[in-house]
Amino acid sequence: MTVSATIGDAITFPRLLEKHAVERGNRPAIREKDLGIWQTYTWSQVREEVEALAGGMAALGFKRGDNLAVIGDNRPRLYWAMMAAQCLGGVPVPLYQDAVAQEMVYVLQDADIKFAIVEDQEQVDKLLEVLLQCAGIKHLVYDDSRGLRNYLQPQLFSYERLIALGREFNIKHPAYFREQIAEGKPDDVAVMLYTSGTTGKPKGVSHTHTALIHTARVLVKFDGISEHDELLCYLPMAWVGDFLYSYGQSYVTGLCLNCPESSDTVMQCLCEIGPTYYFAPPRVYENILTQVMIRIEDANPLKRRMFRYFMDVARRVGIKILDGKSGISLIDRMLYAAGELMVYGPLKNVLGLSRIRVAYTGGEAIGPDLFNFYRSMGINLKQLYGMTETCVTVCMQKSGDVKLGTVGPPMPGVEVRLAESGEVLVRSQGMMKEYHGQPEATKSVINAEGFFLTGDAGFFDADGHLIIIDRAKDVGRLADGSLFAPKYIENKLKFFPYIKEAVAFGDKRDQVTAMINIDGAALGDWAERRNLGYSGYADLAAKLEVYALISECIEKVNLDLAADPKLATSQIARFVILHKELDADDGELTRTRKVRRNIIAEKYAVIVDALYSDVDHCEIEAAMKFEDGRSGVVRADLRIGSAKTVVGSEAAAGRKAA
Amino acid sequence: MGPFIEVVLGGLMAGVLYSLVALGFVLIYKASGVFNFAQGAMVLLAALAFARFSEVMPMPVAFMLSALMMVGVAFLIERLVLRHLVNQEGIILFLATFGITYFLEGLGPQLFGDNIYRIDLGMPKEPKIILENMFDGGLLINLEDFIAAGIAAALVTFLAIFFQKTATGRALRAVADDHQAAQSVGIPLNRIWVIVWSVSGFVALVAGMIWGSKLGVQFSLVLIALKAIPVVILGGFTSVPGAIVGGLIIGVGEKIAEVYLGPIIGGGIENWFAYVLALAFLLIRPEGLFGERHIDRV
Amino acid sequence: MSAAVLANNSGDAVLETDLNPTRRKIGEVILALENISLAFGGVQALSDISFDVREHEIRAIIGPNGAGKSSMLNVINGVYHPQQGTIFFKGEKRQQMNPHKVASQGVARTFQNIALFKGMTVLDNLMTGRNLMMKTGILQQALYWGAAQREELAHRAKVEEIIEFLEIQAIRKTPVGRLPYGMQKRVELGRALAAEPTMLLLDEPMAGMNVEEKQDMCRFVLDVNAEFGMTIVLIEHDMGVVMDISDRVVVLDYGKKIGDGEPDEVRNNQAVIDAYLGVQH
Repeated sequence: MTVSATIGDAITFPRLLEKHAVERGNRPAIREKDLGIWQTYTWSQVREEVEALAGGMAALGFKRGDNLAVIGDNRPRLYWAMMAAQCLGGVPVPLYQDAVAQEMVYVLQDADIKFAIVEDQEQVDKLLEVLLQCAGIKHLVYDDSRGLRNYLQPQLFSYERLIALGREFNIKHPAYFREQIAEGKPDDVAVMLYTSGTTGKPKGVSHTHTALIHTARVLVKFDGISEHDELLCYLPMAWVGDFLYSYGQSYVTGLCLNCPESSDTVMQCLCEIGPTYYFAPPRVYENILTQVMIRIEDANPLKRRMFRYFMDVARRVGIKILDGKSGISLIDRMLYAAGELMVYGPLKNVLGLSRIRVAYTGGEAIGPDLFNFYRSMGINLKQLYGMTETCVTVCMQKSGDVKLGTVGPPMPGVEVRLAESGEVLVRSQGMMKEYHGQPEATKSVINAEGFFLTGDAGFFDADGHLIIIDRAKDVGRLADGSLFAPKYIENKLKFFPYIKEAVAFGDKRDQVTAMINIDGAALGDWAERRNLGYSGYADLAAKLEVYALISECIEKVNLDLAADPKLATSQIARFVILHKELDADDGELTRTRKVRRNIIAEKYAVIVDALYSDVDHCEIEAAMKFEDGRSGVVRADLRIGSAKTVVGSEAAAGRKAA
Repeated sequence: MGPFIEVVLGGLMAGVLYSLVALGFVLIYKASGVFNFAQGAMVLLAALAFARFSEVMPMPVAFMLSALMMVGVAFLIERLVLRHLVNQEGIILFLATFGITYFLEGLGPQLFGDNIYRIDLGMPKEPKIILENMFDGGLLINLEDFIAAGIAAALVTFLAIFFQKTATGRALRAVADDHQAAQSVGIPLNRIWVIVWSVSGFVALVAGMIWGSKLGVQFSLVLIALKAIPVVILGGFTSVPGAIVGGLIIGVGEKIAEVYLGPIIGGGIENWFAYVLALAFLLIRPEGLFGERHIDRV
Repeated sequence: MSAAVLANNSGDAVLETDLNPTRRKIGEVILALENISLAFGGVQALSDISFDVREHEIRAIIGPNGAGKSSMLNVINGVYHPQQGTIFFKGEKRQQMNPHKVASQGVARTFQNIALFKGMTVLDNLMTGRNLMMKTGILQQALYWGAAQREELAHRAKVEEIIEFLEIQAIRKTPVGRLPYGMQKRVELGRALAAEPTMLLLDEPMAGMNVEEKQDMCRFVLDVNAEFGMTIVLIEHDMGVVMDISDRVVVLDYGKKIGDGEPDEVRNNQAVIDAYLGVQH
């Protein structure tokens, strides 16, 4: 076969497509739920579709080196468009689909976008809105034509028309598609992913085929992933995790991707598909757990008692059984088996997690209770560490050797070094090629020896597992010179179910203070159970009872911090509960929901000042962006709460008493 | 062990028959919110008709004819009674069914005579002894009962599918949910009520045939049919599975009580056991085992 | 009083006006009401009202509370029979008919106080919307036979399209009673659409909604009109929303017509301004 002859070590994603079309042409490559029914496309169908698509793009003038903007939910057609671009030697540039139009301008200009393929009217409207600023956009292809019937802009092109055009083109140029694939080199850029950028403008991270495929293969070996695995694509296509774990893995192993019906039906689709391989950031696991707990609270007393009893059993022995440890009594094993039959099994089934072989989480620290909840039910949940620039995979916990609070040892083939400052440095084959068009920026993060400066501070524990404490630049000092790691404190706060976000302040100050964002759903439930009336989020956040509850949580964190001599000074003295949720649309969070501490400090300077004075309330005006793009102002009068701090010896005593 | 199992089996069989009558109640209650007191009278009427028809014609024809008659009865009830009571209080409709009861109880014997009639469905009557090597003396069972249970099961399955899967079934559920909304989407209320009463007439016919073949067709069928009321209280007024399970619980419960408690507190428990159980349920779980609990959101 | 004041008072102006600048072609008159008068006992609900609705247009009936908007809709719908006046539908003079008959002529409606089947799923609710189109008999259905099964599947496919159109896939199997108010409104619109009507009557589709829900509803109303070419008659007391999405507006006050025309005309109509300011809170 001529196809397999071209495959060897010189691997690119398009060549993998050719390979799967030959080797497993009739196996499912991708599924999509459409009109209530799961539609399956086989590898040979996918290849045919991609060929037509590539033909269409070529006919419109897309050529080697061009970039293709891809915007929308996880739809097969958008994944195919990425492949078509790669086949033609171009580079797909997925964008976050929930970004507002103005946020897209920078990326569209930076990547010099001439071609864009988008999901629907919503995205078309956004691009049309910025067309003047991004005059480079010559062709705008849309997947779903709903509502677009009467749009007359010359750039618009329906997907169907593009495919028809492509078929015509391919009849006239039958060899073009193969030639283009053959021309592609492994060291070509395969994708450009814009980092959301905790600071400054986003940067386009260019990855080569080699780096991505190599990294995917390391993972395949590490966790035994094969073509028989199934996974649900529901995380943003613009995120490196989706590109590597969904798109990348499917082409490397030939496994089947499943696209949910809409972003609202993810939970139901999860249940119907029952993926074997799953990735979710901690907040998704947290949402699932919250939903479970709310349903348990609503269940009848018998069920509730059964759930509590068997979760206790699971907490005691579940993780040991999962890790294959010995020394578990026969009775415990039988109890656990009974629990599997009556509680864990049905629960996992409802959540769509019953077939999970391996589940990952990363991007943020995950709470110990949360982490253990899943593991104790027999779900092999593991933490990993990495970033866009390193194709994610730097460290990962090994199945059977999972240590809480760490992100595991470095992956095979990855070198991790710690700088003097405690900063984590990484060198691997999965390293990005460059930041697109920013050689200076590239140079500033990759040192002479080829190590990538992650900007994270961390250290190795005795077993060689990496522990990340914070962003290196965020690790500050209190006025007395002692260590202040805000994220570490914030994470400890966020592990409480009632606290959704937290922002700690303290750099160059005499004490630590915090802004708290309560979890509306969890606290609403809490209030309901206590017959505490409230009219909305802001009202709930201002309740004295809520202040008392949060202050209790903070005091527990203080007790915890006091136990560590290095961190004892970082105890939280004063706090405020914000009247609105921090929101990415308001620039307070990144699109991946990390808090932008500096922006928040600036925006809420009034509050910060109040936290460091002795007033007990402060008035604040906050600009707010609504989803339709309009903005308004929200005014509130916020109370300032205080929490008890303890000295080291008290902490020890407190712990003993507890 | 053997005797106990016999008691339980006997109870289950009686329970199946209760369930069948209860099913008629539930169907009408679900679809129209009417508690149809006349269900027992409908059983009697259907059984009488079938018994007398089958004297003069082949059984399948007699069955078809009786079924048609029940459809006719349903049609008349809708035309003459329900149509005039649209949007009235539940209690008024309930009282109307009292009237229908007395009317049907009179009409049946008037048309078909008031003797005791036999229905012979050709089912084996002789008791059989099974599992002799497992129990001492084996188990004495009645094959007829098993066939009756089979028929009941088939009927319930058929109804469940009919209600859940077909357009008419959906229309029935829609009407049960909200009369006015149903009218506004073009569901003809009158036709639906005829269908519901026909279906429950059909269920009454099946129940009447089986009871009749066991006990003979006579006026006392009406009284036994009253037992279906505690059954629906137990199972929940709106639940088909509830009617089945409720019937079985009451059937088994009263047999066990009669055999094992009877010698201690005196016989006749069978006559009141079901009602006491229903009363207890009204206190602890008024919506019944499977009924929908009404939670009013504030 | 100037028009500017009116616009400011009209509540939350939600939409940019030209969401869909080049909408479908507006056709011939499909419904004409001539000199309609309706009284309940001694109360005159509508007096001598005439207006028409053209094919493919979005026609709004607005007015303060108690202006007779709902009565008007109920006249079109066949719930009320006017004592005087004539109704022409698709060029023919309409005889007195009941709602069921009107529905079978291709007029579907939603209600101000949602009239859904609360205990049934969204899917089942939408399927009931196709009830009028079900052709197979009860006996065939009872046996779920050939034609009945095929018919059921065809209807289901159509309903799935509506589910996708209204973006309610996630609640397909949820009992309607458990949904929030705004969602129920959307489902009710879906049920009306399921009947594939030529004319859609919407009774205060945005009442009681928050800004975001209103916006969604506006989008769906516009999309229904644009994609399916459906003629839409809607009543609202909130002027702001209606002015943005309607082609022509009838204004009622105390059962009388006080204005009729394109939104801009109506907005500048002194009688309308007075009527609205008269009921300012």
